[in-house]
Amino acid sequence: MYDVIVVGQGLTGLLSAIVARKQNKKVALVAKGTGKMLQSTGLMDLVPGSNKDFSQWMELYGLSNREKITVKDAINEFKRLTEKIGYEYVGDVDKLANVVTSSGHLKSTALYPKTITPIPEKGRIVIVGFNEIVDFQPEFLKGNLQKERPNLQIKTMSVSLGKDSQRTLTQLDAARVLDEKDNREQILRQIKEKMKTEFTDGVDLFIFPAALGVQQWEKVHSQFCSELKAMVTEAPGLPPNATAIRLHERLRKEAIKLGVRFYTDTEVNGFSKKGTINEITIKMNNRNAKLESQHLLICTGGILGGGLEQTAKGLKETTLQLSVNKEGAYVDLPDHVYPVGASLGTNVIHYGITGGIYSVVSSYLTNLQIERSDMRGLQRA
Amino acid sequence: MHELSFHETTFEKCLKCNACTVNCPISNVSFDFGGPKHLGPELKRMMDHQEVIDDARIELCTLCGTCDASCPENVHVSTLTSYAKAIHAEENGTKFRDLILSNAELVGKLASTFAPITNMTMKVKPVRKAMQKVLGIHADRQFPTYEFSNFKRRYNKKHATTEKKVAYFTGCYATYNAPDVADSFIKVMEYNGIDVAIPEQKCCGVPMFANGQMKQGLKNAQFNTNSLLEYTRQGYDIVMTCTSCTSAFKKEYASYLKTEEAEELAQHIYDADEYLRILHEEGVLNTNFATINAKVGYYAPCHMKGQGIGNPAMDILELIPGFEIQDMAASCCGQCGTFGFKEEKYPYSLELGKGLATVVEELDADYTVTECGMCKNQLDQLTNKQVKHPMQILKTAYEKVPVTS
Ligand SMILES: Cc1cc2nc3c(=O)[nH]c(=O)nc-3n(C[C@H](O)[C@H](O)[C@H](O)COP(=O)(O)OP(=O)(O)OC[C@H]3O[C@@H](n4cnc5c(N)ncnc54)[C@H](O)[C@@H]3O)c2cc1C
Repeated sequence: MYDVIVVGQGLTGLLSAIVARKQNKKVALVAKGTGKMLQSTGLMDLVPGSNKDFSQWMELYGLSNREKITVKDAINEFKRLTEKIGYEYVGDVDKLANVVTSSGHLKSTALYPKTITPIPEKGRIVIVGFNEIVDFQPEFLKGNLQKERPNLQIKTMSVSLGKDSQRTLTQLDAARVLDEKDNREQILRQIKEKMKTEFTDGVDLFIFPAALGVQQWEKVHSQFCSELKAMVTEAPGLPPNATAIRLHERLRKEAIKLGVRFYTDTEVNGFSKKGTINEITIKMNNRNAKLESQHLLICTGGILGGGLEQTAKGLKETTLQLSVNKEGAYVDLPDHVYPVGASLGTNVIHYGITGGIYSVVSSYLTNLQIERSDMRGLQRA
Repeated sequence: MHELSFHETTFEKCLKCNACTVNCPISNVSFDFGGPKHLGPELKRMMDHQEVIDDARIELCTLCGTCDASCPENVHVSTLTSYAKAIHAEENGTKFRDLILSNAELVGKLASTFAPITNMTMKVKPVRKAMQKVLGIHADRQFPTYEFSNFKRRYNKKHATTEKKVAYFTGCYATYNAPDVADSFIKVMEYNGIDVAIPEQKCCGVPMFANGQMKQGLKNAQFNTNSLLEYTRQGYDIVMTCTSCTSAFKKEYASYLKTEEAEELAQHIYDADEYLRILHEEGVLNTNFATINAKVGYYAPCHMKGQGIGNPAMDILELIPGFEIQDMAASCCGQCGTFGFKEEKYPYSLELGKGLATVVEELDADYTVTECGMCKNQLDQLTNKQVKHPMQILKTAYEKVPVTS
């Protein structure tokens, strides 16, 4: 019997489990897969794929002005958490930043890790690719970035990671290469060599794939900045991006260290109520079992995360097998069951996906709801 | 060859999202491995209804199962890679060394018969050098010790007489290397008024699957299934102290054998801590534990994590007064059963173990707790902390309770 069961280990689930555990609750996290964070950029967007600002976002998600302070609290809590786990996020929901992706397009985002630097209007830019990483093409990036920022002077180059491989290398692989000091030095030497004939009077910003280290990102970033005598940014693109993996790995470890009990490779496929207790049926490997909790958080990511399924008859809820309306929201939400993030239905999914900021805010708000419910329970007792 | 074109369709759901490769412990320390996505679903897609493809890169797969737990689409990646291993072994033949390593049971029988000599010999440098040369077992890899008084010589009850009955699948490690773990388990059950029987059993097969010895592994799986079903059908619960054995019965047997019997048996398999947790939930666990003032680090074996059972070892150990236990949240230990003994795999094994060694050092606890004997082997070699099995701690906690009469 747990105080809180969280279904799903995407951004929403991990954050929800961590906050609940910090309240000293007994927490289990049940999930069948790792969630979408691994496929994301690791940037926390308001509304991915749009330039909507904070007040438009508040309106879109049906949040009242009164709740602005709570939303800010949630953001600050997230920043504190990321700092604590050694991967600090910066930025401001009131002032979106323009960052570059690996395709060279600019996107506005609210929060981003310290390895990211927003793109200036003008200045001298060098885009550095790695020969071995086919998903990042400096010339392609340059073409698109130049269109968006005509006043930038842009040069490109490619250097070698110097590693043989038996598989197609990804940004994450490159990031692990850069975790090693010798490799960093070898790569920096190549860049400096090439820089002898380019922009000889200095560079403002270097753009790399999202591959500047995993464990050692801080060392990689500061060494690159100081040796290249310029600002350095990552341009996330096709997954896996080190920007996202760092956050995912650290959040997971934090949750485990705090004592959240992980039931992985485990699907939730049924629900019943035993008095006030929530009981879920779980299927792991070739077995079925039941788990009980006081509170049940559904962080299953909606249609993209697998919590909702598009069928010929409309949306179907896969986790508790309860009926949902045409927007995917629970018709009859049982007591002490809380859909969080994209599980709230399509009304919180705009342009197909729910941004990271909504995961951050929604998990925070749900925790407040649980606290209030527990208080009421105490008062009654 | 025919049986290696096995039936398994979950690969069709693979979206090539890379989640398995991103989380794969070996892929994260080496580019020599092709990665689970390529050697699992992608390879299977190329082979289906066509020619069997042998890909030598599969040798580096340790069958830890992390890929299965990361896949958002529920592809049975490790089933696919285990068959890729079997195909590779079939096409290339198996090294004499791998045949020996995969036969942990036979090695255990022999080594324990000559235990004092075996243990001493395994520490003699020139002998180990020769073993590396002739057998390809790395000279620097420490071996677990073998006990002459193996568990089979100590305890051999075939039937339980109490109301709750447990049949204990001991496994090779607790039988030949760590009979103290098996003894402790029997004692812990005794303190809970539960009689333990030891059914006829063979090695669970995990070392065979890992070395591509699929046929032999499935033979063992079939033998164990038949033997244990006789017990479960009489109301016994099957309990194990090795998380790799448990995982084989819950997961691999049913996935590989694909029989109703294997499915039926899987419903009755419990890890020892998981079983105690059930007793606790039913309110029948003896919680009269003595205080143990200790601060310890817990290392979760991959094959425990893959079972989807939360963290039963910590759930139970936390019931001991004064006992402070912290999950170290470490990734794969790198021993990976027989993998870390092999000359050519040894460097990868050490590279994998680095992360674990660092967290053990950072936590600086009194000792380390883990259920897996092979993880313990790596911990013994790479850290200076003692390593205990949860059952050993529980036994002490029961025994130290002052007797009041
Ligand atoms: C490809 C892609 C890229 C994206 N990139 C960005 C980005 O760069 N920036 C941004 O802000 N947002 C991005 N998003 C949006 C992203 O979805 C959200 O930001 C956020 O990560 C969603 O997290 P979540 O935890 O709510 O859902 P998910 O990450 O989808 O997690 C759902 C979890 O629920 C589990 N689950 C589902 N059903 C069950 C069940 N029945 N039983 C057990 N477990 C179940 C899944 O296994 C998974 O663990 C992206 C989305 C996608 C699909």
